[in-house]
Amino acid sequence: MSGKVSPLLQRVIDGGLFDRLPVTFGTYAFDQIKEWDLLFPAEQSYFERLFGLLDRSEAKRVEELFAPLRQIEQKMGVNEKVWPKRQFSLDQVDFLNRNAHYPEWRKAVADLFGRLDPLLEEEIARKGRPRLVVVSSPAELPVGPDRMWTRLREYGRVVALEGQESALARLTPVAELYSAKNAASRYETWLIDAGESLPAAVAGAVSVSYARLARYRSRLMQEVNRLVNSEQIRGPRQLAAKLKELKLSAAEGEVARDPVLAEFVRAILLAGNGTLLVNNTFAEWATVQAVRRARPSVVLVWFGIRNKVKPFSSLLIYADQEQSNPIPTQMDTLGSYVDLEVFYQYVWQEFEKYAEYRRNTVYLFLGEGMDGMFVIAPPDFSLGSANEPLKMARIVEQAKDWLNL
Amino acid sequence: MRLGKRRFIQLAGLSIADRILPVRLWGAPKSGWKVIIVTFGGGVRYAETFAPEGLRNIPRLVEMQPEGHFFRTCTNAGVLSHFNSTASILTGNWQRVDDFGFQPPAGPTIFEQYRKQTGAGPLDAWAIATNKSFSTIGAGADREFGLPYGANVVLPKQLLLEAVQEVVKKKPSEGVASRENMQRQLENILNEGYEGIGWTIFKAGRQLEKSVRETLTRGLVEYINGPEMPTSGDELTFFITREVMREFAPRLILVNFWDMDVAHWGAYSLYLQAITRTDRLTGMLWEEIQANPKYKDQTTLLVLPELGRDGDQNTANGFLNHRSGDASCRDMWLLAMGASVAKGETERPIRHVDVAATAAELLGIKGGEMAGRPIRELLS
Repeated sequence: MSGKVSPLLQRVIDGGLFDRLPVTFGTYAFDQIKEWDLLFPAEQSYFERLFGLLDRSEAKRVEELFAPLRQIEQKMGVNEKVWPKRQFSLDQVDFLNRNAHYPEWRKAVADLFGRLDPLLEEEIARKGRPRLVVVSSPAELPVGPDRMWTRLREYGRVVALEGQESALARLTPVAELYSAKNAASRYETWLIDAGESLPAAVAGAVSVSYARLARYRSRLMQEVNRLVNSEQIRGPRQLAAKLKELKLSAAEGEVARDPVLAEFVRAILLAGNGTLLVNNTFAEWATVQAVRRARPSVVLVWFGIRNKVKPFSSLLIYADQEQSNPIPTQMDTLGSYVDLEVFYQYVWQEFEKYAEYRRNTVYLFLGEGMDGMFVIAPPDFSLGSANEPLKMARIVEQAKDWLNL
Repeated sequence: MRLGKRRFIQLAGLSIADRILPVRLWGAPKSGWKVIIVTFGGGVRYAETFAPEGLRNIPRLVEMQPEGHFFRTCTNAGVLSHFNSTASILTGNWQRVDDFGFQPPAGPTIFEQYRKQTGAGPLDAWAIATNKSFSTIGAGADREFGLPYGANVVLPKQLLLEAVQEVVKKKPSEGVASRENMQRQLENILNEGYEGIGWTIFKAGRQLEKSVRETLTRGLVEYINGPEMPTSGDELTFFITREVMREFAPRLILVNFWDMDVAHWGAYSLYLQAITRTDRLTGMLWEEIQANPKYKDQTTLLVLPELGRDGDQNTANGFLNHRSGDASCRDMWLLAMGASVAKGETERPIRHVDVAATAAELLGIKGGEMAGRPIRELLS
């Protein structure tokens, strides 16, 4: 354990609860809390509620709850050798993935949370408060509102807009106002940007930008390249251990001053998917992870246009494409449109997975310069009959009202 | 009522007949018959292929489907990693070895079974793969088989990667934008430094066998000078496969396309483009089979995805990954084409491990100890 956990969790650990749980569950949970100081308050609260619930529940009921998982562990051959106590690494992930009973194990875990989550969510739902999510797309997209947000159409409606006011200029102050007046902590308000449209820093809020992390990204790509090519890293397990050491420095990003956010950014960029390579993938994954981990109340997500893939040199995934290929960089507007249609769905879906957001979140999907926006909102968020085009100012007022600003 | 063997077989019907009757009853092996297995490697979902909304991504397969036999459900019940999935297809047994190709398949592959039983030479079994971790896919760990009977494994994309790296490092005028630069570098690698880029059988000193080198060079030249600026590892895989077919006419080939694994980047449009490219290349491969007298009317082509990808509702991150084990990851399809293939469609689920067992029957060899069963619809 690298940092001190909360007194409640320490009591639970000392009481031996983690050791009484099936080892695949207990070690995973232990691994999740071992860097307690790097967790967001929402995560700390979740673990306290989860283990508090298990700790105060009747031992027989806890045993009963975990019995299916315990049985599958036996079938899988989980023992001290393959699964040392309180140790969870990629070796354990590998063991699970390659085990013939892995699908059964996944189902048992899903069933387990299917029983625990409703209990944990009751309290959250009782304390629900209004939340706002704004997702914006760049002006260069080659389509109009009639061909946007196609995967979400059944959940909301398109609202006509009057004039071509910048949503950015109008909605960013809402986030600033929320962080100044209503937010309990910095992690309540997030600005996530594929480019450099949103402000680099907002007092009392989190601001992360793919473009502004260029120096860090460049260092990470060089390091990954070097590790793979020169240090004879055999595979992802060895690589993961090395990547853990590549921390964000203060010169590379403002969020480095906050260790929780510095680790968040490192984990996002080195997640193994395209977050290091594609601006919109970064914005999407950062949003998904912010929701999962920090449960913010106000989120502004600004997507951008990704570049076209260059011939030949694009095969060198971690090479700087500007340096390695003389062909000028070009924007892929149509490709970005196709990419984003999927991401709107994934982002909205992620919010709706959690009790914090269901039935009390207003989602505004905008396209810069478009004469329409897409709204998903609870019935008590009113934009009128909306037969007439609305001014952005009216929407901003409604959003402020919604957030009690 | 006592259930006699005859009555039992009547009741059980054809669905279990292949388990209790000698498979040979379904159709005698054809002398010289060839089998080409094409995998949509990297993983592709039903949603982007044979689901109604996916058909627009695979126009060539849609055209081919009425001429072949389509299996609606071909399940990957194994480990959802690339190496294990393809190794399961090739061995007929669910593989649980290292996910990244640091171990060979745990049992003999269909290549080894074929070569050992028939005495076929190394030119008669090839694995041409875009995935760089497939260098050990051509032969399993069983000591009675192994490399002496394995496939000749070629990893064209590795060749391309090395060439690009060299050109970028040396910075000649126009760099990688010049096709000439690229071609020169690729040929250099074939002449000198091919080790480590996939040739497993022809390592005699530091020289590639002359005819093999010439064949591969022809594939490279076609690729480099193709109508479009080459960006794809799969295109090169196709051109090399076609040259290998024309020059050596092997009886057993695995073609592993892999561009669609770009899905991990999170660019859905690039993923769709890669699927359509693989569809086009598969169509071109089928055209080559039809046009090449060494293959026409004596080949079965089996096309199937290596694995799927997570569903859009999945908690991880949808199409970007393939780790959830949900139906979107496991339930695939298989399209079989060939002169002996009865046109039609089958609802009966088949499995990835059935492919090797079927290939064994088509090649007229014994499959050995396989969990997979020959797909009877392809053996009549």
